Amino acid sequence: MSKRILCRCEDVTRDEFGKAFAEGFTELESLKRYTGVSTGFCQGKGCLVEAALELAALRGVPPGEIRLTNIRPPIEPVSFAELAGLEPPPLLGALEDADGEDAP
Amino acid sequence: MSDSTVTIVFAGRRLACRPGLSVAAALWEHGVKVLSHSHKFGRPRGLACVRGQCMSCLLRIDGVPNVRACHTTVREGLVVERQDTGAIYAPLLHMTLDAGGHLLPVGFYFKWFTRPAPLRRAFLGALRPMTGVGKLPDGPAAARAAVPPARDLGRLATVVIGAGAAGLDAALAAPGDVLLCDDLPAPGGPRRAALARVAESGDDILAALPRLARLHDRLDAAARAVAAEDRIELRAGTRVVGAYQPDMLLLKDSDGLLLLRAGRIVWAGGAWDRCGGFENDDLPGLIGPRALYRLAAVQGLRLAGTRAAVCGHGPDLWLSAALLHAAGARPTLFLDADAEADGEALATAQRLGWPLHTNLAPERASARDGALAQLACAGAGGRVRVPAELAVICTRAKPAHDVPYQLGADLALDPDRGGFVPRDPDPSGSPLAVVGEAAGLAPEDLCGEVVS
Repeated sequence: MSKRILCRCEDVTRDEFGKAFAEGFTELESLKRYTGVSTGFCQGKGCLVEAALELAALRGVPPGEIRLTNIRPPIEPVSFAELAGLEPPPLLGALEDADGEDAP
Repeated sequence: MSDSTVTIVFAGRRLACRPGLSVAAALWEHGVKVLSHSHKFGRPRGLACVRGQCMSCLLRIDGVPNVRACHTTVREGLVVERQDTGAIYAPLLHMTLDAGGHLLPVGFYFKWFTRPAPLRRAFLGALRPMTGVGKLPDGPAAARAAVPPARDLGRLATVVIGAGAAGLDAALAAPGDVLLCDDLPAPGGPRRAALARVAESGDDILAALPRLARLHDRLDAAARAVAAEDRIELRAGTRVVGAYQPDMLLLKDSDGLLLLRAGRIVWAGGAWDRCGGFENDDLPGLIGPRALYRLAAVQGLRLAGTRAAVCGHGPDLWLSAALLHAAGARPTLFLDADAEADGEALATAQRLGWPLHTNLAPERASARDGALAQLACAGAGGRVRVPAELAVICTRAKPAHDVPYQLGADLALDPDRGGFVPRDPDPSGSPLAVVGEAAGLAPEDLCGEVVS
């Protein structure tokens, strides 16, 4: 059947996105949680900009008012085995630097 | 053909493939375009970004699930399988949802049958096999665990990510030592690969399209200048896996992970194709120009006899048409605005026998056997329908915003610049600078002269 898909990974149509907005989900962050937009394999690379533009139109506000949702590493798939090979763990290192302490 | 071939096994069939192609490109040459199906409506999925980021080409390859077919090179004896769910009721449920899903409430799968608990478990138990992708890998974990340790490159002065036009310029302009990374095997970005294939093809297409000829010269000159500078180290085949504030990058190449910190990080990651906004814009066979360059120029996909539509505007429309022509396809052009602006290009289209329509944009795509078969375009120029197995949509691309976001850039949505772009591309006090298409420049802006 013919469709206008907004998010390809999670199969969210533009219609569904609009319905969710009508149900009262008016922030990109809550629409993401409710409809699944941008939570699939591509993590929003395909749909987040489209969803933000659609939301700006639905709300009738300038696009600049729409805030991006969180994008966390990793940006692309990486195995746990590879991450386990990092020494020291990068986030731990970053936290210690922020505290001004040396790595143990 | 006289080339030597390698044989892969796909869905039990032995297929002879040209060496060097990705699994996805090789399957395309054998007419296989549908690689998977979406998990709710069961819509066909295939090659889309060819940049390793959209994940719509995931296949089970040599017993490992969720491998990107666009980034796996064919090898003798490779066993390739689709990993659609396997639940016997899935096709029927997909068909039902596809036809009637719009009547169901949004998120029905977490609204219905939530109580009592056994009913919920049964409901989710039936749905999960549809949404899952693949099964656990074959064989014991120990056999797959030979992962090389990550390498720490320490603290560097300047890292430039992306060796397209903007990245090459940034590397040349930066003072001191520069590490220049790109996921492609050669510098210059996918456009340089496309221009090189067009230049090799004869027909003097570049001479007739002066804007593209300028871009070709400019990218070649910048790549040569970078190669001549000892202070610039080019790392090809290297991808960004993660970015950590304020100055840390996690990269990956064929030998595994790389960790580094840098005094200055220049993000020249370009833009993501925007291929959509019309009905059935998700069909396999619809791609953007960047995907086409990677497929037909970097990987060398042959498109002999393919009927192709090229829609949109700008240098990427002409480069896509030229590359399709060089790869053996027959392009039909749909310009979304009045074409009077570029008389020379129009004359070229006429000389090369490319049918050309103006003031038309894609309205609806339709499929045969799950992949694109026909594209209907409409607009002030009327309504035209053409048969097409491949359509390249060249509209305003989306600046790649993920790495700048993770490094703390202040991003704002700007439709005129394609998406989320930094309010200040090079803020003082931050190690991050964003350049080129990632900062919202249009491809037109990249056709000028080399900066340095």
